[in-house]
Amino acid sequence: MNHISESPKSCRNRASFAGLAIRLSMSLAIAWLPAKTLAADKAAVLLPGSINDQSWNAQGYAGLLKLKEMGWDTAYSENVQPADMAEALRDYAKRGYTLIIGHTGRFLSPMELVGPKFPNTTFIVGSGNAGSGKNVASIDFDNTQFGYLIGVMAAKMNKTGKIGSVNGLEGLPNVVAQVGAYRKGAKSVNPNIEIKVIYVQDMEDATAAKEAALSLIAWGADYLSGKLNAGQLGIIQAAKEKGVHANGRSLEDTAIAPEAVLTNIVEKWGEMYGAAANEAKAGTLGGKFELYGLNSKGCTGAELQYDKEKELNPSVPAEVVDALQQVKKQFASGELKVSVTKEDARGGI
Amino acid sequence: MDYNVLAELLAATVRVAAPLIFVALGAVLSESAGTFAVGVEGMMLMGAFSGAVLTFVTKSWAFGLLGSAMSGAALALIVAIATARFRTDHMVTGLSVNILALGLTSYLLRGLFGGKTPVINLPTLDAIQIPWLCNLPLIGRALFEQSLLTYAAFFLVIPMHLFLKKTQTGLMLRAVGENPAAAFSAGTDPIRVRAVAIIVCGAFAGLGGAVLSLQELGTFTDGMTNGRGFIALAAVIIGRWQPLFVMLGCLLFGAASALAFNLQGWSLPISSYVIQMTPYLLALAVLCGIGRRARMPAAIGRSFTRN
Repeated sequence: MNHISESPKSCRNRASFAGLAIRLSMSLAIAWLPAKTLAADKAAVLLPGSINDQSWNAQGYAGLLKLKEMGWDTAYSENVQPADMAEALRDYAKRGYTLIIGHTGRFLSPMELVGPKFPNTTFIVGSGNAGSGKNVASIDFDNTQFGYLIGVMAAKMNKTGKIGSVNGLEGLPNVVAQVGAYRKGAKSVNPNIEIKVIYVQDMEDATAAKEAALSLIAWGADYLSGKLNAGQLGIIQAAKEKGVHANGRSLEDTAIAPEAVLTNIVEKWGEMYGAAANEAKAGTLGGKFELYGLNSKGCTGAELQYDKEKELNPSVPAEVVDALQQVKKQFASGELKVSVTKEDARGGI
Repeated sequence: MDYNVLAELLAATVRVAAPLIFVALGAVLSESAGTFAVGVEGMMLMGAFSGAVLTFVTKSWAFGLLGSAMSGAALALIVAIATARFRTDHMVTGLSVNILALGLTSYLLRGLFGGKTPVINLPTLDAIQIPWLCNLPLIGRALFEQSLLTYAAFFLVIPMHLFLKKTQTGLMLRAVGENPAAAFSAGTDPIRVRAVAIIVCGAFAGLGGAVLSLQELGTFTDGMTNGRGFIALAAVIIGRWQPLFVMLGCLLFGAASALAFNLQGWSLPISSYVIQMTPYLLALAVLCGIGRRARMPAAIGRSFTRN
């Protein structure tokens, strides 16, 4: 009895103490900082790697540049290791940053831990999969929609009755979303199509991804999809060598195999963070898990891009292009909603 | 499993084994002379990196391959100086070199090409078809339709075997690994022999890395060897430091990893995580079986002092 009544009280005490500390430090900050820095709200981006990796972390840095352009006063930290995440978050929050972005799903638990102590700061997990409390939000692009679109295209382009997908970690929420929707999209075009999914347990090992892709091609797949980081290159190389189709994740993939690559799912982290920052400022982001897709306002989260001008490889027939536009419209209007289970994203056929 | 899938499975086995064979043959040299080759993972990574960068810059495969071998050897030189000359612990030295290579390659990649895209994008080495033989049923594609470095890896096994078993120098090298004091009293300098063996091992491991970056992917990605150097070391133990058996060990791992991808397609009620463990479980199982019977070079891991 004692314990039960005691613990919330002490929590409250601690919370109010933390609140007091924040107010105190904020008023100190206001007293001490030059007026210039007060003009803009302060936002920080924490990155798991270095900003010039030309891939994931460069995307996060693009988010920072977007915020700067929107008038935020910005700062960033590179190579933030999991063990240091909580401390880095606390540090920025103490220094009066009202928006802190962690650019990997791994920031979710440290933010859940730190978030409640800094109620005036909004924490955003890039590629997270859950919101928490009043000020920890996750954002991601709608993997389901883009996986579905690729599935529709793959099935339309398919001649052998078999398509494949090579992926990293089985069971990650955004992987389940994209792979499951790929399967569903393809089946929506051709219910008899066979889709084989291989998980290589590694997002970066391109050699392993290439071997997996080659085994799918030998099985008969003539379209390969996948959601990998550096490993995506393995899929592209296999498709290029064997003359089948694939999709990449960046315009560089088109440069490597202009014939094999039909399109790329290009993620727009800069725009997503910009949109999320606006919501945070307006106070509407809260503890949400926000997915940006074709039906969102301001930002679609990702885009299909073949090169700077074109959405799809010019070799894709007009009939397929039209079908894709149709599906995109249905997503945008909210007419089509796809939900995916783990079973849809299973390994194998 | 249909015919095409089976033929591809065999081809994949040979293809995956090739880089392992380069690394493993190098490790056989180093370990036969008495130095644990723990650093091959890093040497392989250096080779992968330098091969890609030099081929990209010079537009020449020959320079790229040379660069792979040289950079692997350069990293091995550090190991050689530390272990042979200054008698450092082999395991610790090897592991340090692995970590060094991981950081150094990532750093240099950004230092040299940071901000520019596309970074490195090379055409991969094409498969060479051996006339007639590549049309053999089932094994044709696996044995006679591979790329240059894959053929080279398998062809190297025989000279390596002959070198170790049939030449005076090979005998001397093994003697240094078995009993450096005796070799010393017979007029051989064990420190020099060990140093040379380590450096040549580095060159081989570097070429193993080149297989990945030049032949398979046409670029370098961070940490792209991803433990393949360690798998090669397991193959060395399975093959009991005999080049021919070591090659079989590499093929065993090639088969296991090719099969792991295929197994997922059979929709077995097993998690892909478990399936992906098979090459490593296999390594453990084989090591438990063979490991005890395997007799290491007697003086491996022990440093030599002249007095």
